[in-house]
Amino acid sequence: MLARIVGSRLAALSLIVGVGVWVLVIPAFAGTLGANPLEALLHRSGEIAIWTLGAVLSLTPLRVLFPHSQIIGALNRHRRAIGVSACVYGLLHFAAHILYEGGWDGLLLSLSKPFIWYGLAGLSILVALTATSNQFSIRKLGGRNWKRLHRLAYIAAALLIYHQAIAGKGHWHIARWLLFPLAALQVARVTKTLLRKPARISASNQNVRYVAKKTITTIVSADTSMTAMNNTPQGSRVNAC
Amino acid sequence: MLPDSAITPEEHYLRRREFLRVFGLGVAASAFLPLSIRAAETGPNHSLNSAYKLDGVKLTPEEFVTSYNNFYEWGFGKDQPKEEANHGWRTQPWNIEIGGLCANASKIDPEQLKQLLGPIEQRNYRHRCVEAWSMVIPWDGFALKKLIDLAQPTSGARFVKFISFLDPANCPAQRKNELPWPYTEALTLAEASNELAFLATGLYGKPLRNQNGAPIRLVVPWKYGFKSAKSLVKIEFVAEQPTTTWNEMAPSEYGFYANVNPNVDHPRWSQKSERVIGAGFFSGKQPTLMFNGYEKQVAHLYAGMDLRKNF
Repeated sequence: MLARIVGSRLAALSLIVGVGVWVLVIPAFAGTLGANPLEALLHRSGEIAIWTLGAVLSLTPLRVLFPHSQIIGALNRHRRAIGVSACVYGLLHFAAHILYEGGWDGLLLSLSKPFIWYGLAGLSILVALTATSNQFSIRKLGGRNWKRLHRLAYIAAALLIYHQAIAGKGHWHIARWLLFPLAALQVARVTKTLLRKPARISASNQNVRYVAKKTITTIVSADTSMTAMNNTPQGSRVNAC
Repeated sequence: MLPDSAITPEEHYLRRREFLRVFGLGVAASAFLPLSIRAAETGPNHSLNSAYKLDGVKLTPEEFVTSYNNFYEWGFGKDQPKEEANHGWRTQPWNIEIGGLCANASKIDPEQLKQLLGPIEQRNYRHRCVEAWSMVIPWDGFALKKLIDLAQPTSGARFVKFISFLDPANCPAQRKNELPWPYTEALTLAEASNELAFLATGLYGKPLRNQNGAPIRLVVPWKYGFKSAKSLVKIEFVAEQPTTTWNEMAPSEYGFYANVNPNVDHPRWSQKSERVIGAGFFSGKQPTLMFNGYEKQVAHLYAGMDLRKNF
């Protein structure tokens, strides 16, 4: 029952949009964003974006770790929607930045800072991934290439977590709550995948290489099966932003 | 030497006794009143120092000055100090120690200090945060110079160190080691003796709120806000340049001098312009002024100094 609710497209979209309405739109119109409302919008949109990205990146490892969990299976149906929304909130964050800097001149000034470039590079990746988050792109690129391209999400996460970490003055509260669980999930996932084929591991160097290659293939196929899930008619309804 | 604007207008001069009488009564009476009532009783302050009126500049609404604060003892969020510093943290009784290389060391209640160094004057100062936002705040207090004259630093004193409260029992953030507590700042003796350096005990004619650094704080308007240490428990005259909190945390980002300077960027953002608190969504930013607009009063302190190096 719970898995059905979690798997419902409507529930997922309501939550994704609802967060933005609740945290950004309503406070902006109600005037409850405090003394520096644009800064509040800037920070809030950025935080929603990075948490959303963290959420989508945790889904694949969770599925590998708990293949029989119906809830995680249901959550994995929303990978595309969650990934695209991370991009949308990231773009809102960038829009807030432009507004905060007071337009073009301010934006150009801000571009002289590496801090901004980490954010911009991460966001550019998310935009590229969002632009290719549709059946047409998967067909055009081929499953394998598409998969490779979308691995860039990890690079984006690294860039954006770093961007988040140095945004704070002397603290990285949010960044570490993202970084450590995500890293732990990935380590657990890779470990599990490696342990799944103990017979193949031997002292021979060549064999180790073979196992490593096999592992990558396993991860790829696990990911591709996820893609296949998204290929269901229900999954394809959400398109690029 | 004094600019014309520094001369007290006759009208104010003639009213000074009236002010003293009213204020004196207020102070005497206020001792018996709870803090909330006292704020209302003190009312608007008539002692605005006309040299620091900032004609044509809009004051930041009091609501924003008291709700948007960088006071890391009470959390990293700007809305946190208003909440967290008012959960029973007591700023009375309070003592501030004046010591180090000076002839007249003492430990004194800020209320007594006010009476000793008064009258309390009001000054409208620009406030520029290192994070590129700004306010204009009507502070109440007295020139730091008055305290220095009272303390009589000895000839070896070259710096003045300002130490904020340390109270881990009542201040959860101080039980973590994210910053080296207590918060410490410092000025050169020449900077501290400048007419602009100010000790504030109130704002908007009311006693300082906890989130603004009650009961007494430093205000150095030509420097980034973090130099203006809050809730002071000690002012110490020393010979060597002290270690200061943010400079110790991130020396490449926060210099010892931390003079407002549009030509020297912060590593992560430009300092050429600032967002005015209370100006609204589409206001853009306004240009930041050299020494936050106080060039005339303080530029001589840094004559011949490379301000890029000594940022």
